[in-house]
Amino acid sequence: MKLTQVISVTALAAVSLSLTACANRGGGETNAESFPGKTITMIVPYQAGGASDLSARTLAKEMEDTLGQSIVVENRTGGAGSVGLTYLSARPSDGYTIGYLPVETVMLGHQGYDLDPAAFDLLGQIVSVPATIAVRADSPYQSLEELLAAAKANPGSITVSNSGAGSIWQAATTALNEAAGVELKPVPFDGGAPAVTAAVGGQVDAVAAGISETAPAAADGRLRVLAILNDTTSEALPGVKTAKDLGTDVTIGGWGAIGTPAGLPDSVKSTLVDAVKKAAESDAFTAVINKSGNLPVYTDPAAFATFYNAEAARFGTLFAK
Amino acid sequence: MNAVAEGLGQIADPFVLLCILIGSLVGMLVGAFPGITATMSVALASSFTLTMDPIPGIAVLLTIYVAANFGDRIPAILVNTPGTPASIATTFDGYPMAKKGLAGVALTTSAFASAIGTLCGLILLVFAAVPLAKVALKFGPAEMFALVVFGLTMMVGVSGGKIGKGLIAGALGLALAAVGRDPITGTERFTFGQIELSDGIPFIAAIIGLFGIADVFDQMLTHRPETFTAIKNFGRWWPNRSEVREMVKPTAVGVGVGSVVGIVPAAGGDIAGIMSWAAAKKVSKHPEKFGKGSLEGLTAPDTASNATLGPSVTTTLALGIPGDSVMAVLIGSLIVWGIQPGPALFTTRPDMVYTIAGIMAIATILTLALSLLRLRGVTKLLELKPAFLWTVIIVFCMVGTFAVNNSVFDVGVMLVFGLVGLFLRRNGFPAGPVVLGLILGKLAEGNLRRSLEIGGVGNILTSPIAMTILVISILAITLPPLLARRRARRATRATTTV
Repeated sequence: MKLTQVISVTALAAVSLSLTACANRGGGETNAESFPGKTITMIVPYQAGGASDLSARTLAKEMEDTLGQSIVVENRTGGAGSVGLTYLSARPSDGYTIGYLPVETVMLGHQGYDLDPAAFDLLGQIVSVPATIAVRADSPYQSLEELLAAAKANPGSITVSNSGAGSIWQAATTALNEAAGVELKPVPFDGGAPAVTAAVGGQVDAVAAGISETAPAAADGRLRVLAILNDTTSEALPGVKTAKDLGTDVTIGGWGAIGTPAGLPDSVKSTLVDAVKKAAESDAFTAVINKSGNLPVYTDPAAFATFYNAEAARFGTLFAK
Repeated sequence: MNAVAEGLGQIADPFVLLCILIGSLVGMLVGAFPGITATMSVALASSFTLTMDPIPGIAVLLTIYVAANFGDRIPAILVNTPGTPASIATTFDGYPMAKKGLAGVALTTSAFASAIGTLCGLILLVFAAVPLAKVALKFGPAEMFALVVFGLTMMVGVSGGKIGKGLIAGALGLALAAVGRDPITGTERFTFGQIELSDGIPFIAAIIGLFGIADVFDQMLTHRPETFTAIKNFGRWWPNRSEVREMVKPTAVGVGVGSVVGIVPAAGGDIAGIMSWAAAKKVSKHPEKFGKGSLEGLTAPDTASNATLGPSVTTTLALGIPGDSVMAVLIGSLIVWGIQPGPALFTTRPDMVYTIAGIMAIATILTLALSLLRLRGVTKLLELKPAFLWTVIIVFCMVGTFAVNNSVFDVGVMLVFGLVGLFLRRNGFPAGPVVLGLILGKLAEGNLRRSLEIGGVGNILTSPIAMTILVISILAITLPPLLARRRARRATRATTTV
């Protein structure tokens, strides 16, 4: 009797929960004329409160105004983003589920995760997060040349922290090594903030991190940013040159885009693409992203698709080495 | 002093005070809900507060942070389920007290210990922020590794007297911590192709399973309708004079441990609570009562886990480094509001420090008052028939666990850990060391591997801080048995001479 009690109570609880889950799944047929006719869900593959979440939520708020429907942001975390992205790719492609696609969308497939970049239709890029290389304020390395020269003289002895194994910032260190023909040693930490802290505290020689993570520490004099690994310089880092200008041709960084599961009907797609464009170019959105230290960059789906495929190919060769 | 007046003046706004009231109600509620952590609720609230002005926004977020650390004690004491990880150690003695018919005293004591801990931590924030934060910066991977090893020595302490079984449970926890991607190379380990496991075993799901679900399962199996008595009897609500006196020492221990752990980046209330419980047991005159409903064993972790709040904020504001996971979320909001945490904050916006300390102090006192009022109502829940109560607890735990990652997989993990916890409990293995191993194992491995990457073994051997902590850890394990043997020898000698 006792064991049956255990089973029945647990089962009762499970059933009541799955009922609520079913309530979510109802409906689904798309009528292009009246799109959007109900609430849209936006999947974010990272935790609430992070930089990706902030970009996605701010954009969703602006898109609501254009579409006249509410957008519910749903965080599905885990597996470096693969849990949320896999979930998104398996949703019906009716326009009612959209998602935030980070740079990891084109990286994870090369890192042993079962994720195909072609599983998504792209609605446009909304944000860019250039990589930076920084040292602590009293570091002996005054310039990128000096850091690279030291790495050349003693291969593998110059340590560069990053936010985690397989992260875009670790890839940035690898890309820099390749471009300069040196061997900086990447040291993965558990998140971007601890990686920056390790550089400030002098436990590592340098840090590779996004501009939004290094710019504040550079502004109050804790870090010296040696180079920005981007095509253009940034207002957030006055006086900091691009690596290209300093003689090492490397451009790498994080980005964020909006996408849907592949196979979106054209009429629905054009409505969503317009809404993303309008929201990504709105003053409200660009103001929030600028304040967070990242760059609000809108790229239309066609141009972005070229870049997206180039990135997917690039990480394939980068990780193969 | 101008900054103090200006900082506190910003709070004396009816709207800000209203925000504090709302924050503490929300915070207590989410804290009491197993699975919903302070981090998660602050993260969700921050999407609403970003549209507000900075001061009221900060008031809501910080108050949720403070109040969640009160609310989470209620399920820990009444149903053996920590509301948030910070109250894991509260279950060690809080639940046994409740079973002994002292639920009222336990809840009141816990509320006061939490309030005293928070307020002491805030004093640290106000007076010692800058110098203390500099110490935190010295904690790199080598030093963190040493600190975590010291934390692991506490396994013996949380074993509840059964050292052998405690160590086996601890080893299980450490083994489980190895699941997930390798922290340095990113290679998959023991994930069996499950992407949900690539970040490791979902920690919240595991602790809810090990504590709450396991206890419900256990009650179901051992329940005899005729003999079962639900915790209806809360007994007295106020501790008597001798009990208050008993609380002084563990409070001091709690404040000490909590302050140190709080300052260290990324170490929070869960670790502080467990460490403080073990430390208080060592200095107690009645260590044998720990784990069986000791008032000291309840006071120490509650004081400690709340004493981490002030120092966490200190590290965050003074260094721009998140002192714990809630602070990591808060930094994001602060930056958008144009308040950049870091050493410069103390010169550019000194008033901010006092505003924040003031908000947290008011939140603490208000939440203390709320908990003393509301506790009587909350506890009515337990007058339900056991079968209904179990269903309610299991549903709450499932919903809470699901909400962490919107993941059904996590709910499955929770149920599996419920069974694991049931097995451990029925065979006399304590659950505390499993959790300790699971939390600290990952930190120990990540930091050890990182420091080896940076400078080999020399990276640890040449760090005075790391070596000091490691030596203390060795002493913490070896000294007590040596002393005990010496005492025993002396005692036998004394008896033979007599």
